[in-house]
Amino acid sequence: VRKHQHEEEEPGALRWKEGLQQKASEAFLRHQEAAPNLRKLVYGSVVEADDSEMEEEEELGGLFRVTRPQKSKKFQANAVDCSRFNPDTSHNWDLEEMLNSIRDCFVTGKWEDGQDAA
Amino acid sequence: MASHGLTYDGCNFFRQRLVLSTLSGKHVKIKNIRSRDDEPGLRDFEASFIRLLDKVTNGSRIEINQTGTVLFYQPGLLYGGTIEHDCNTQRSIGYYLEALLMLGPFMKTPLKATLRGVTNDPTDPTVDLLKSTALPLLKKFGIDGEGLDIKVVKRGMAPGGGGEVVFTCPVRRTLKPVQLTEPGKIKRIRGVAYSVRVSPQMGNRIVESARGILNQFIPDIYIYTDHMKGASSGKSPGFGLTLVAETLNGSFLSAEISSTPQGQGEPVLPEDLARSCAKLLLEEVYRGGCVDSSNQSLALLLMTLGQQDVSKVLLGPLSPYTIEFLRHIRDFFQIMFKIEVQKPLEDERKGGDKVLMTCVGIGYSNISKAIK
Repeated sequence: VRKHQHEEEEPGALRWKEGLQQKASEAFLRHQEAAPNLRKLVYGSVVEADDSEMEEEEELGGLFRVTRPQKSKKFQANAVDCSRFNPDTSHNWDLEEMLNSIRDCFVTGKWEDGQDAA
Repeated sequence: MASHGLTYDGCNFFRQRLVLSTLSGKHVKIKNIRSRDDEPGLRDFEASFIRLLDKVTNGSRIEINQTGTVLFYQPGLLYGGTIEHDCNTQRSIGYYLEALLMLGPFMKTPLKATLRGVTNDPTDPTVDLLKSTALPLLKKFGIDGEGLDIKVVKRGMAPGGGGEVVFTCPVRRTLKPVQLTEPGKIKRIRGVAYSVRVSPQMGNRIVESARGILNQFIPDIYIYTDHMKGASSGKSPGFGLTLVAETLNGSFLSAEISSTPQGQGEPVLPEDLARSCAKLLLEEVYRGGCVDSSNQSLALLLMTLGQQDVSKVLLGPLSPYTIEFLRHIRDFFQIMFKIEVQKPLEDERKGGDKVLMTCVGIGYSNISKAIK
């Protein structure tokens, strides 16, 4: 593909057409990753952290050992036991756009046909 | 699997494991509790939780090793009755109450628990939130009647505490299966703006600011101001807000914030707190579902323990805590849920993705329930 790009580097050439198929397949894969199979996420096999892997020991002068606890797995296992679901920080509730996204959750919003009393 | 026992690592999801162990009768061993921490082993609040569990059960066997990094728990019978417990103030009463809400319906005799400690802190769901969301949820599963109540007798803010809460719960032999698939539209918003040992004006300032945001959506908003004085105001000053949105079909979505505990971090203005809390409620509405994010696991537990019939509940996105709870339900009860993601339609303005959870209950019946 790369070679192909070099050849077409002439002024005025329509370069956006290059690698359209590749771009499309990449976008498809990205989308697939963004919407994971929830069942697999919940019940899929969890990779257990290996205990031997956790200990990266170094000897200092033959007497002391430095342990560097890895933060990833063991940290989670001993995290705070709390049921709170922290909100998605990407939502900015000062924007009109966000406010509009939930308008129909309220009785004051638009009703489905057939449910509307009017 | 050695004689139905289960083994886990670490202190996370501590309550889930002990509660499910108690309900299923399977013993559980938790290893490596903060084994690499500077202060290894169980903390005081966890020890306090175990003592509470010991009070509501009969014949539980609990073994903890010398450093407190290994816990073995063999559950006894859920007995219930009238108990009193001083909850360790490292966590609020909500931490303990969440577990009692799960165990309450399955006791031998109706539970009347007097819990003392911190009623409101920023970490855990507060007693006000549980009162306004968890109790209506229990009612949907047939656990209702006069006996079901959470009463805030005294309010105690973190870190000092000094609050008192009475939780009463009736017992049921079996639970009703539920079909909660249509949340319905939100008809009103209610709330409690509480304040202790600060100016009673704080409550009004909170109400004013919260209304400013929520009035854009719905006019039916009422936020009670709850200012407790004297002996019923606990040991520490503080304030906070709990908001609950009620739908036409009787679902409750909630959000809350408590002020930063005295001497821990930056103090907050009541106006800022109210605005953040209102936005949290909007976030909760965006997530949607028939059960709000803090009660997902309670709903899933009651579905699992229902009669041998299909239960369906529509939830918002699953919280990390709930995902772990589902895994634990599989470990203890061999129940796996059917999980279907429902994407919103193109022109719909009803928030984000929803998740439909379906399962067949295991037909749990409370055989220890006393017959009168």
